[in-house]
Amino acid sequence: MSNKKPVEGEKRAFLTGNETVAWAALAGGADIMYGYPITPQNQVMHTWSRIIPPYNRKFLQTEDEISAGFANCAGALAGKKSFTATAGPGNALMQEPQSMAEAMRIPAVFIIQQRGGPSSGTVIYSQQELTLTTYGGNGEGWRIVYSVCNHQEIYDYTIKAFNTAWTYRFPTYVMGDGYQAELREALTIYDPEERGIKMVEPQPMVGMPGKPGVDRPPVHLVNIYSLEEELYDVCIKYQMEFDRISGEITESEGKNTENPDVLVIGHGVVFRSIHEAVKEMMKDGLNVGYFRPVTVRPMDVKALRNAVKNAKKVLVAESSLGQLERQIKAYCYGLTTPISGYFLPGMGIVATDIEREVKALLKK
Amino acid sequence: MYLRATEEVPITLVDFDLVNPFYTLRPIKDTLENLGLKVIAWGKNTFMGLGEASSLLRSDMLWALHRKGNIVFDVGYGTYGAEIFNLLEDNAEGRLNIFGVVNICKPLTSTVTGIVKYVKEFGKINGIINNSHWGDKTDITIINEGIIIVSEASKILGVPVISTTVEKKLAEKIGPADFMGNPVWPLTLYMGNAYW
Repeated sequence: MSNKKPVEGEKRAFLTGNETVAWAALAGGADIMYGYPITPQNQVMHTWSRIIPPYNRKFLQTEDEISAGFANCAGALAGKKSFTATAGPGNALMQEPQSMAEAMRIPAVFIIQQRGGPSSGTVIYSQQELTLTTYGGNGEGWRIVYSVCNHQEIYDYTIKAFNTAWTYRFPTYVMGDGYQAELREALTIYDPEERGIKMVEPQPMVGMPGKPGVDRPPVHLVNIYSLEEELYDVCIKYQMEFDRISGEITESEGKNTENPDVLVIGHGVVFRSIHEAVKEMMKDGLNVGYFRPVTVRPMDVKALRNAVKNAKKVLVAESSLGQLERQIKAYCYGLTTPISGYFLPGMGIVATDIEREVKALLKK
Repeated sequence: MYLRATEEVPITLVDFDLVNPFYTLRPIKDTLENLGLKVIAWGKNTFMGLGEASSLLRSDMLWALHRKGNIVFDVGYGTYGAEIFNLLEDNAEGRLNIFGVVNICKPLTSTVTGIVKYVKEFGKINGIINNSHWGDKTDITIINEGIIIVSEASKILGVPVISTTVEKKLAEKIGPADFMGNPVWPLTLYMGNAYW
């Protein structure tokens, strides 16, 4: 790899979300992207392949998303910081390799720019890949998923995703959406090491030197289990590890969560509107607050339950038909705070929508 | 040079982005038309169903150059988006004024060298527009830095700087021309209403 740094110091930038992913991956030391075109993430591939030549990074366009997903796993197994980006049906096709990444503890990074569904060809914005990204695949959802809400976060969390993946060895995701992918926004790009962020060095999981069992322990990466008992043991072990690290990696933020009349919950780009709406309503003297999960998997359950328990009413706002609300209700099982939803699948949610819905709840 | 729509010289805005035909100015089409612009773009009531299964060319897009007045094409991102001009009917060589719009807050065009390389990829162009800004964090310093860097690049490229575009509140502070004498075009921003 070239010694030349792609970003020197701190630089102001005005980029689309997709361009931001590519620059963050470059600054974060990604070695290779495997990809297959799909809207609205195409520009990640376009930008990555355009900016990498001076830095000796790699790009491979595969024949489909299944292949891109497996190649992404293979790159990480070989000790390369690898990533892919996809959306919608591409995310659906990638569930098999994502499941393999969970099974083999492969530190592959996935960028998801959500789009609408159900459909194979709908390219427009939505937040309808929350369930798929957090719990898709034939497994238990041992994934770390950051739901970002602006371009600075896209940059910060794409860099962070590589460190999280290579520290904990669970597949790690940065989940945006069609709006964030295409929106242009001001942000600061930077070299992470110059900011004091130590980037975790990747290590190969296969092809190491020496004779297995003699010079080094043998590598036994299992993706197929023949016995029920064998699978049971692995599931219990991995679940315990996932639970153990959850306390270290969950992130959330809240405002006025002590005793609000209405607590608004949302993630990703919808949180921007929630943030603005709550700020305005608080200025007007209304007792409202918000809770935002940054990691939607694993969820910051303790902070969530505290916030919900303290609120008189909860409103979950999302551009899907209750994918977040279902998770919130499950995590808050046993609490008695009434939870209602404001669902606009495929549609953007603006601050005035949130204010209207909150004020209606306050009157009830 | 600053375009103003009149009955005699109307302005037509053509949504000609086939790189990303779905995240476009469609949501603000009505707003722009109410401001007196003619807009050739798909609207909510004129389109359904194809998703990403096709590219959405309309005949009035292809024949837009036959319209009266000034025609502004919104093409896809990057220099590759400009290749779509090949599809236009009656696009005789030299008939179009093509301006490269440059922002020093984009990493690829943040330096003189970067701008020269980027603009050369367009092929023949008639001028550069200095559109240097940092979104809602823009200040006069950034605009002035842009003027210096873009002017230097224009000398190397041998094409003039056509204007400096500035959001209208900041434009009021700068006046009708920037400090190097380039006309300042004040901008009113509408794309925020399109969500992206």
